[in-house]
Amino acid sequence: MEGLLKLLSDGHARTVEMLAAELDTSVSDIARKLEYLEIIGVIRRVSLSNGGCSGNCSGCGGCSGHTGDGKRDSAPCKGCIPDEGFKNMGVMWEVV
Amino acid sequence: MSTGVTVALLGQPNSGKSTLFNALTGLRQHVGNWPGKTVEKKEGSFTHKGKEYKVADLPGSYSLSANSDEEVITRDYIASGEADVACILADSSQLQRSLFMLADYAGIDVPCFLLLNMSDVAAEQGKKINAGAIEEKLGIPVIPFSATDKKSYDVFYEALGTVIKNKGMLNVEKLNTQYESIIGYREIYELIPENVIPGYSAMWIAVKALENDKVVMAKLRAALDDQTYSRIEDAKKNAQGAVATGGCKFAWIDDILEKAVDAGDKKISLSFLDKIYTSRIWGKPAVILTVLLGLIASFIPAIPLMIVGSLILAVKAPVMGVLSSIGCPEILTLIIGDVVIQSFSYIFKMLGFVFGVTLVFGLLEEVGVMARISYVFDNTMGKLGLQGKSVMPFLVSFGCTMGGAAGARVIDNWGQKVLTIALAWAVPCGAAWATVPMLSTIFFGPGAVLVIVAVLLTMLLHMWITAKIFGAKLVKKEDRYGMIMELPPYHKPKWGALFRYVFGRTKETFIRVTKVIMLVCGVFWLLSYSPSGENGGILYTIGVAIDPVTRLFGMPWQLFLSYVASAVGKEGAIGVISALYNGGSYSAGFMDAMNGAATAGNLNELLLANVSKPEALAFIFAITFNMPCVVALAATYQETHSAKWTSIIVLYYTVVSLVLAFLAYHIGLLIW
Ligand SMILES: Nc1nc2c(ncn2[C@@H]2O[C@H](COP(=O)(O)OP(=O)(O)OP(=O)(O)O)[C@@H](O)[C@H]2O)c(=O)[nH]1
Repeated sequence: MEGLLKLLSDGHARTVEMLAAELDTSVSDIARKLEYLEIIGVIRRVSLSNGGCSGNCSGCGGCSGHTGDGKRDSAPCKGCIPDEGFKNMGVMWEVV
Repeated sequence: MSTGVTVALLGQPNSGKSTLFNALTGLRQHVGNWPGKTVEKKEGSFTHKGKEYKVADLPGSYSLSANSDEEVITRDYIASGEADVACILADSSQLQRSLFMLADYAGIDVPCFLLLNMSDVAAEQGKKINAGAIEEKLGIPVIPFSATDKKSYDVFYEALGTVIKNKGMLNVEKLNTQYESIIGYREIYELIPENVIPGYSAMWIAVKALENDKVVMAKLRAALDDQTYSRIEDAKKNAQGAVATGGCKFAWIDDILEKAVDAGDKKISLSFLDKIYTSRIWGKPAVILTVLLGLIASFIPAIPLMIVGSLILAVKAPVMGVLSSIGCPEILTLIIGDVVIQSFSYIFKMLGFVFGVTLVFGLLEEVGVMARISYVFDNTMGKLGLQGKSVMPFLVSFGCTMGGAAGARVIDNWGQKVLTIALAWAVPCGAAWATVPMLSTIFFGPGAVLVIVAVLLTMLLHMWITAKIFGAKLVKKEDRYGMIMELPPYHKPKWGALFRYVFGRTKETFIRVTKVIMLVCGVFWLLSYSPSGENGGILYTIGVAIDPVTRLFGMPWQLFLSYVASAVGKEGAIGVISALYNGGSYSAGFMDAMNGAATAGNLNELLLANVSKPEALAFIFAITFNMPCVVALAATYQETHSAKWTSIIVLYYTVVSLVLAFLAYHIGLLIW
């Protein structure tokens, strides 16, 4: 587990498969450990849904500019990214 | 209280507790709340062989830590002794993971047995589980089970009976040995008297203390004398924490499962494509190739809209002819022809590229290639001092820099956030993707592809240099983290959703672009209009005056003004061009070139009449790397809260874009 954490904080990006290979273990082992580390708050899942607009876009003042007239409809961010965000970008975690 | 035995069902979410609970109790259940909590309390009862049993379906939770009310309720309920037997459910299809609940339970002094639920699923996956071997190691009944299969319930009742009779406790010796390896464990363990918190063993409490479990620490403080408690607090300071205890639990699980599970865990091998993408050597070239091919491919879906654009231009002369023949005022005829029709011709051509690029890159995202691209660039970003999540703002910036700047909000380190935004400015936004390829095709015909490639390579270099310049000030070495990515499997695109997105985005762009271009084009056209028909107008006078300076950067005054307008929005540049160079010559020239119809001499003649190729190249680089637009500027200020850095970024981009224009012009002069 500490070995995993060390790899996570060394500034490189890795896939789960690469972690498993480097630590000489299985992908499911890495997956359960990542789950645990996420639950105890050591790592955090990166939201790739809609860049900081988290859901309702209410915090995203700039996005209203898209409609040109400042009117904020339910999804002012459309045009930037697909409706439900990037769906198929995989899962990313970062060390907190 | 009735005299019957109480069974508590314990398991992680989706382990099948509710299924078992419902099957056992049928209609004999009621749902309430735990006292003082909003957590659901499900109780029921059943009779088996004339005996009465009570069942409590405890809230599903990952473990028994103090992370949530559910978990604290669950463990306190069991440890309180209200339940006589705990039935722990684990998911047979993923025992490695789901036995964590059992590992966290170890040390609670209540007899228990383990249900390996979903054994049908495990069997389907080809996993063979030797429950007997696990049973031997744990010292409690371990039964393969399937909550959805009523026929397997006999073994459940049987095991329940055994546990009630033998009061079998979980064997935790090996787990304790694991914990002994943790720095600080023994010290804390020895400070904890047995039964200091009823129901929990000293081992369990010591581990929770290491994990800094708030509830357990509060109970210890209340139960222990001050001196002992502060010694525990002291010991914790140098001790390992939850990462180490979790590691021990997993190691214990692995030990239990060793030889007991024939996982059938085929070593998953990376697909051929992923081998290339994740290769340290080939990853980058492969990604760059993918992006380039993607860009080239996006010219194809652009063609229909490009044709519409030229058709619009083709009606310009007839319409203007009709208008003047019916006695329409000259200025109105000119506005309709030179401003409206001319602009719409450009707008449709721009939309062609927006449509093409969005479609191709949306498709790459859908099938899972984008994830690989961002993975490969992530390592590079680490080197630039950025976090993995900067991928997001960059990707969004391809659509809209403002969205990218707002998206940088997810980065909590201020320096990295500013750096991310500064770099996101270099990413060509949707408007740039509309303007730049269109201009390139006008000036360079099929050679536009090469220009786009050069623009992209320049972008990478630009970002790299910018990161070096700004990074030194903004990011400290220790702020840099690695990141983990689970690459999604490749899959077929959902065409419906994809096209909805692409059309939505094209429509959005259409509306915005039309507004900007019409406005800018109208204003500039009026400024350059002179009723006499000869070159006049205020703009012309100013233009001629500044021309010697603007030529330094390789741009005639018309293009320079258009560059200035591009700071408002890249589309603005097209508005200016549309106003200042009207006439269908370029567009027609391009379409002919694309169709291979025109003779080279003819095309050159038309272009050289107004703009030389080096000038065009200079202009393209200038507008691509100019500041994205005023709204992005506002968003940048809003996110960075720093007028200083916002102006530094603006200044930097203006200077760099002019320098790039200068370089492009001179390189262009060497070529042509
Ligand atoms: N194939 C199979 N499916 C099962 C089995 N046990 C449960 N399921 C299914 O797994 C799903 C989850 O079961 P639940 O009983 O809702 O799980 P739970 O532990 O109560 O989940 P929470 O309510 O989230 O705590 C349901 O769709 C069940 O039908 C089993 O032994 N085999």
